[in-house]
Amino acid sequence: MFLQTLFTGLSVGGIYALMAVGYSLIFSILNFSNFAHGSVIMLGAYMGLGLASKFGLKLGFVVAGAMAGGGLLAVLNERLAYRKLRHRNAPSLYLMISAMGCSVFLENMVYVTIGSRFYAFPEFFTRRVVTFLGSSVSVMDLFALAFSLLAIGALGLFLARSRTGIAVRAGVCDMTMCSLMGVDTDRLVALVFLLAGALGGLAGTFMGVRYLVYPTMGWITNKAYIAAVIGGLGSLLGAIVGGVILGVVETFISAYVSSVLRDVFSFTILVALLVCMPNGLFGKSMEERV
Amino acid sequence: MMRRALAVLSCIALLATAAQAAEDVIKVGHTVSLTGGASMWGQSEKNALELLIGKINKDGGVLGKKIVLVSYDNRNDPVESVNVARRLVNDGVVAVIGPAQSGNSIATAPILERAKIPMIVTTATNPYVTIDKDTGKVRPFAFRPCFIDPFQGTVAAQFAYTDLGAKKAAVLYDVGSDYGQWLAKYFEEAFTAKGGEVVAKEAFRSEELDYRAQLGKIKGLSPDVLFLPTTQKEAAMAARQARDLGITATLLGTDNWGSPDLIDLGGSAIDGGYFVNLTDLSDPDIQGFVAEYRAAYGEDPVLPNPVMAGDAIYMLVDAIKRAGSTDGTAIAKALEETRDLPVVSGKITVNPEDHNPLNKPAVIQKVDTKAHAFVFVKKYEPGD
Repeated sequence: MFLQTLFTGLSVGGIYALMAVGYSLIFSILNFSNFAHGSVIMLGAYMGLGLASKFGLKLGFVVAGAMAGGGLLAVLNERLAYRKLRHRNAPSLYLMISAMGCSVFLENMVYVTIGSRFYAFPEFFTRRVVTFLGSSVSVMDLFALAFSLLAIGALGLFLARSRTGIAVRAGVCDMTMCSLMGVDTDRLVALVFLLAGALGGLAGTFMGVRYLVYPTMGWITNKAYIAAVIGGLGSLLGAIVGGVILGVVETFISAYVSSVLRDVFSFTILVALLVCMPNGLFGKSMEERV
Repeated sequence: MMRRALAVLSCIALLATAAQAAEDVIKVGHTVSLTGGASMWGQSEKNALELLIGKINKDGGVLGKKIVLVSYDNRNDPVESVNVARRLVNDGVVAVIGPAQSGNSIATAPILERAKIPMIVTTATNPYVTIDKDTGKVRPFAFRPCFIDPFQGTVAAQFAYTDLGAKKAAVLYDVGSDYGQWLAKYFEEAFTAKGGEVVAKEAFRSEELDYRAQLGKIKGLSPDVLFLPTTQKEAAMAARQARDLGITATLLGTDNWGSPDLIDLGGSAIDGGYFVNLTDLSDPDIQGFVAEYRAAYGEDPVLPNPVMAGDAIYMLVDAIKRAGSTDGTAIAKALEETRDLPVVSGKITVNPEDHNPLNKPAVIQKVDTKAHAFVFVKKYEPGD
């Protein structure tokens, strides 16, 4: 049972991590929590669902389509809801409130246009299960975990090695200086939203395949947000570690202590951790930027 | 000046005719979930009521007046249900049909009781819908045409023990819902009384998506039956996750499973599961109603709500006729005395002790994903 619980915890944590990276990426450069990310994930799931059930595409194309769709949606979201505020140097609190508005707007748009029904993806891997030392893991979960790690790894590599990646990291350090050095910050921000949105589309599709698709499914990003806070908002490595820790701790508490008391325990751990380490595990100390 | 006075006068005259018209009809309230997860039942319930009320009006209505349905969306939410109940009271309805869910009904009951307006819930199966939990006495204005959870839990336990030959059962339920919590309790009591053993009772909260931690624990205890007194959405997710973990136990559910999209959502994982329901499409008693519904709306009714709402409107019309008045207290008294009344699902007699129907049977259905249908297995009469 220990191994089974560990596997379950890792796969739950993997999804949290994938979503948390989207939060951290945007927080790192704009210093605000983009609460519309949950809705981007939800719409990514709907896009994936449409491609899979209406057009009968294979999983690879579905994932690619949802990533592209999620990316574009996030860029559009930034363009319409945040750019003006940014140009006016509005405090990040206003950006956050605008993000909450976007989230409610998108969710209600889905209610009005698509409806409140639940949908399920077609079964891509006809319920195949891999057994390992008496524990079972579904093929879909393994695939999702591998693909998520690959996507996050590629993102890390892009940020570390490519010229544009270096510009993004420079923007994380100091946006004003970056623009003085001749970097087009609007394009830089759009790129960050494109990347975060693409990861959101990916997370949405995997969530839809594993669970179901419906308008309020984005609420689970609350957990991802907490994972990002545990890891330290703004740190990609922190988001991944935070997600995995939260997933594993939750699963072990459900299995060994009580499934009803799970959130009581995991949130106590969160509070305790933040009291000891206010910036999370890998966070930098955040000061007001000039 | 003259023109203005004329205008005012004509307005008054118009209002007076409108008031006159309002008195010529009997308003029946309907509190129902038209949006959200339970909307497919709610919409079907509303369709059925409109269909049957149309028929009743065509035959002359009640007490010489036409019935008008006033339907509001309670969004399957207890707080919104209370708001809807207040609105219906303000609208001057003579009685209310619905809500369909136990939590919403328990929230609605005190509001209508204070206004002395009778309510007939459709599919709320919790005992405390018609019984006041604090005093243990029957609520004078609350009635229902459906069976109650102690019976449903017993039927599920009996079917599991006797027909499926299960000795070990595990339960996974929603700790935040009255429905799931009580059914888990009734099932455990009945299954243990028969000689079976409930090896695990695990819970989740309604907005959670992942039950694999709980299911992993259940897997280690290898039960014969996994009892899921949940909604169709949760049952589908639990089934998929259970099969992913390699749990082979037979799945068993309750009347909340009975939605056509259970099969789409659960896929192959839900195949071969059994559940208790209030009625079945193949039930000979409801064939006439099903045919009329199909003719009117071009699709099958989403059972069991339309049938239960149909029973409710016939109970109400009969009570108003016998009371000879639309006074709430008189209608409630007449409802209490309902005997052998022909309704959509068969015949109904109200037990004055608890306002539940006497002798309401339950059916067991099996999920057949290949045929994309629920197959009738057997019928349980109370006392079997």
